[in-house]
Amino acid sequence: VIDAAERALLEQTVRDALARAATVAGGGGAVDDVLAQLGWRELLAAEPRAALEIVFGALGSAHARATALDDVLAAALGREPRGELAVLLPPFAAWEPPGQTEGDRLHARGLATARAATARQLLVVCRTDSGLAAVDVAPTRAELSPVHGIDPEAGFQAVRVWADAAHARRLDAAAWDSAVAFGRHALACQIAGASRAMLRLACAHAVERMQFGRPIARFQAVRHRLADALIAVEALEATLAVGGERPEALTAALAKAVAGRTARSVAAHCQQVLAGMGFTTEHPFHRFLKRTMALEGIFGAADEIALDVGRQLLATRSVPALVEL
Amino acid sequence: MSFSQGRMEDSPAPKDLAAYRAQLHAWLDAHREELAPPYTPPGTLDEQMAQMQRVKSILFDAGWMRYGWPERVGGKGGSPMLRTELGAAIAARDLTDPGLYSLIEVLAPTVIEFAPPALAAEVVPRLLSGAEMWCQGFSEPGAGSDLASLGCRAVPRGARGGASSWVINGQKVWTSLAQYSQRCVLLTRTGSVESRHRGITAFFVDMDTPGIRVAPLEMINGVREFAEVFFDDVVVPADRMLGELDGGWAVAMSILPYERSSCFWQRIAYLYRRLQRLVDVAPADDRAAEVIGNAFLQLHALRARSRATQHRLAGGGALGAETSIDKVLVATAEQATYDAVRRLLPGVVEIDDGMAGEAWRSEYLYSRAATIYGGTAEVQRDIIARRLLDLGDAG
Repeated sequence: VIDAAERALLEQTVRDALARAATVAGGGGAVDDVLAQLGWRELLAAEPRAALEIVFGALGSAHARATALDDVLAAALGREPRGELAVLLPPFAAWEPPGQTEGDRLHARGLATARAATARQLLVVCRTDSGLAAVDVAPTRAELSPVHGIDPEAGFQAVRVWADAAHARRLDAAAWDSAVAFGRHALACQIAGASRAMLRLACAHAVERMQFGRPIARFQAVRHRLADALIAVEALEATLAVGGERPEALTAALAKAVAGRTARSVAAHCQQVLAGMGFTTEHPFHRFLKRTMALEGIFGAADEIALDVGRQLLATRSVPALVEL
Repeated sequence: MSFSQGRMEDSPAPKDLAAYRAQLHAWLDAHREELAPPYTPPGTLDEQMAQMQRVKSILFDAGWMRYGWPERVGGKGGSPMLRTELGAAIAARDLTDPGLYSLIEVLAPTVIEFAPPALAAEVVPRLLSGAEMWCQGFSEPGAGSDLASLGCRAVPRGARGGASSWVINGQKVWTSLAQYSQRCVLLTRTGSVESRHRGITAFFVDMDTPGIRVAPLEMINGVREFAEVFFDDVVVPADRMLGELDGGWAVAMSILPYERSSCFWQRIAYLYRRLQRLVDVAPADDRAAEVIGNAFLQLHALRARSRATQHRLAGGGALGAETSIDKVLVATAEQATYDAVRRLLPGVVEIDDGMAGEAWRSEYLYSRAATIYGGTAEVQRDIIARRLLDLGDAG
């Protein structure tokens, strides 16, 4: 188990490496290479929680594009993470398995990271008549189209799959739940890093920008917005810190929902403080805003998750205290 | 007393806390009937106060009330987290109101730290065992959020350095439970008003001292929980000074760490209980699911944050400005919980004259103060902006 000092060192190393890689044109592949060199997959195997928090936090903070999410999901589904293995994500705002078999045919629809365009296999989790299954699909059986949307730099692909399901392997339902929990925790860490970054940008602007003969940071209306943003970010970070060595379904769902809420409120406060600058593409704020909007929908946005959690509480008529001292 | 583990280290291992929690809850289960309020909740404030002191007395005799407090004041030692667990357990079971109970956490640590040791050894067990109630004489009509401007004056009889007693004149307000209290931790002005936080001295005052008059105030929910307290030539012996002469600000600030950790953990346990009550009776539809899901998100994030704060404190960290974040989160989550009640149980707050309506209405109205007492939400945001975000001074 890595201690706090090792973790801090690792975080700094990852951040520095990502900062260098992100300056390479396009970003994408360079960041994945850097993560591989740093031993990201080994860390994921040995210390899954710390790996997600360090790497995805840094990705969010640096606005770096990577395909590490594929490794996270592959590992959670019991596969060896490799650069040639991509995993099909559910459609935007959903978290059900993206595929369905009919007889020996597989149909699937969802999203994928940029890795899907170069991978040798696309791992598709699907519903079958008897439960869940996983199918390794050849790239030729998948139709990919790059998603431009609000954040073309994110590299997402819209994917449709028509394939032979003869080689489908049965999958325990808990494996998909685990994949969703790992994915949500990773994305929540990334959103937390991006939210911190937005707040840093807005604070830096507030102390520099002069109006009425003083920095706008001296106006209480501005200060309170930034304070509210910090309160939200710190609450999110605390939420990410609870739970065991492996992300669990309900705590990861809550973390992802809190992340979505946080990103929305932090972005709103920071954009208002950044004012005209935050409305331009000259200032980096817009990148973080757009990235968090894209990420929030992967494995469910805050509203859908909150509704789902509320349904669970009402179905069991219980309010679990998931955190003890 | 089944729990017989030796003295715990200051930062207990989670498994030790879990063992303590399990034994505590088993004991509370076994004594359920004895501990239950002898009235139908919410009860009157008189009934609630009697119940709280009765529960404290039972828990003190059984030893639970003594874990986490130093031996020199009648405790059994161990981490303060043990008493946090106790406070949360009794709040989660609705045995006492956490707002009334948590005054222990606000006042006892301060007296232990700043009172002469013999005085602390004499009075703290009386507070813990339910023999006494204490109040906090801080706020004044002219000193609310701006506490450093307080004016209740203490004048030495004789030379300032060697006075044998002090004479106090002035007024306090929003003093919770003053009419039930035997003692008061009182902040007084001993320097010029311009000296602000440097000219304040704290005293531990007996409430039966001649010249003290208590006038309870009725709160928005009809409960007379707090009071105005008038001081008219009240003579207090010099050995009742808490801390240094003109050192009262340090005494006042010493309240913060436990108020912002153990008290909050108790309040959070109580809010989970309230959300549970709502979940027990809410309609099983998607509108209710959405409202409840959102309230639960907030409570969960708050609980996660508060846990981290307690572990920082137990690990020897000094709690400061960052607890303003905890304060805002508690207040926001509390109001969100009662807003959820009002949305999902139409009329229960506004027109229900049954016992459920009475309880929800009282608590709903009280929850509106969460963003005001203990430092307003605005003051907390100012602290966050200046101290945590380095935005400099306002204005």
